[in-house]
Amino acid sequence: MVSIANKEEQSIVIRDLSKAFTNDVGEQSAFVLKQVELTIKKGEFYILLGPSGCGKSTLLNIIAGFLESSGGELTIHEDNKRNQTNRGFVFQSADSALFPWLTVEENIGFGLKMKKTPTDERKVIVEQYIELAGLKGHHAKFPKELSGGMKQRVQLARVLANDPEILLMDEPFGALDAMTRRTMQKELIRIWQETNKTVIFVTHDIQEALLLGQKIGIMSVGPSSKISDTYEVDLAYPRQLTDVSFNKLYNQIQSHFDE
Amino acid sequence: MNSIAQTEIIKGNIQVKKRSFRVGNKLLKTGLISWVGLLAIWTIAAHFSDPQFLPSPLATLQAAIVLGSDGSLFVYMGYSFARVLAGWVLGNLVAIPIGLFIGTNKVVRSLFEPILNFVRFIPPLAFITLFMMWFGIGEQSKVFLIMYATFFVVTINTLTGVLSISEDKIRSAKSMGATSVQILLHVIVPAALPYIFTGARLAMGSSFMAIVGAEMVAANQGVGFMIWNARLYFQTDWIFVGLVVLGLMGFCMDRAFGFFGKKVLNRYNVIS
Repeated sequence: MVSIANKEEQSIVIRDLSKAFTNDVGEQSAFVLKQVELTIKKGEFYILLGPSGCGKSTLLNIIAGFLESSGGELTIHEDNKRNQTNRGFVFQSADSALFPWLTVEENIGFGLKMKKTPTDERKVIVEQYIELAGLKGHHAKFPKELSGGMKQRVQLARVLANDPEILLMDEPFGALDAMTRRTMQKELIRIWQETNKTVIFVTHDIQEALLLGQKIGIMSVGPSSKISDTYEVDLAYPRQLTDVSFNKLYNQIQSHFDE
Repeated sequence: MNSIAQTEIIKGNIQVKKRSFRVGNKLLKTGLISWVGLLAIWTIAAHFSDPQFLPSPLATLQAAIVLGSDGSLFVYMGYSFARVLAGWVLGNLVAIPIGLFIGTNKVVRSLFEPILNFVRFIPPLAFITLFMMWFGIGEQSKVFLIMYATFFVVTINTLTGVLSISEDKIRSAKSMGATSVQILLHVIVPAALPYIFTGARLAMGSSFMAIVGAEMVAANQGVGFMIWNARLYFQTDWIFVGLVVLGLMGFCMDRAFGFFGKKVLNRYNVIS
């Protein structure tokens, strides 16, 4: 009963959020985001879908606390304190996010080390996430020795090892080849189901959005973009590309982007 | 038409060629060919010239033995090397933190960068007289001069290293709960290390330039003094001993530093 009640709890609530960048002399640019409204439940897999340049990454960076909004409200777990550690961020480029001078193991243990978790405990946790992310046998390798997909697994494991409540993912599979991407998508669903995290996943790939998300927020083309439509995807996992309702939804969503 | 035997012979030839190519490649990598070539050209050139003008490698070696037999050569080398090492180490110790500080702080950077880019074009040699006035003619002024020669190269390299760190690395460390100090020590320093290493390595070269200049102007010891002194006695061979010894000292110091980089800093991807 408790777990069901928790599932309905709101994780992230955004009201009338806007964002404009200011340049060096303090001039404001046009609004990148305007009147963004968004509610995400705890444990939900939420997709932010939109074409390139619509500001979806900007929105994710604001949720992450990397950027300040220009106006509006952002509430995370009924708290608008900017405690960064309960959000884990998976970057698009593993090469720019991972620490190349640390091994797989050390990368995954980084957050725990910074929090001064005792070495024994850290080892156990790192081992657990190495296993979860399918990185067994790669402990002592350096990132440059791994393939693109493996690097993203390290990034995912590194973020999860800090046990964040919310997982923010910025087109994490965008740079992978199609085959690896499929595998990673399946893996992500498995990990999400095992860990019960709230996930916000940014993508411009409708198929990816439909394979992964429970809810899809469609962002309008910028400037002043906002979430123009929301779709509930009520299909069981693992989802099939050939499924009739899958294709129906695909065409529906595609129609938003057809001029 | 080739018979089998002929083909075998051809194959054999190719193998011999391949093998000799491999041996040649290995030889090339040791650098032995370059050294022998240089010595040969030097010998031939010296053969057609006056030994007062261009002494041969052999004459230079003989001069080195003479200078070495009473130990004076080694004392000079020791002095020069100790000055370079002290100034270079101290220069790095000052330059690296300053480079990190300027690189991580926007306001400080806009304050310091213009001055940095002005002063760094003033060569150390231009400061010799001034440094002697300020710090005396003893060791202090020479060590300061080397520090000056080291400072700008290392500071600017460190600064560039800090600026080249991807925002993602800093952000990911932050979101994993690292404090600003932890980010500096565990992300910024290791990420900038290849740049710092290269800067320190380049600074070695400028250090040797500065020390020889300083020793020529004001010193009773050191390789620079030896070269300058040789002029008085028209001992061209001593000058050549000095040049070779300088090259050798720099070469060894660079190799030692490169070895240190390879063994200790390999995971930071330093170029050694």
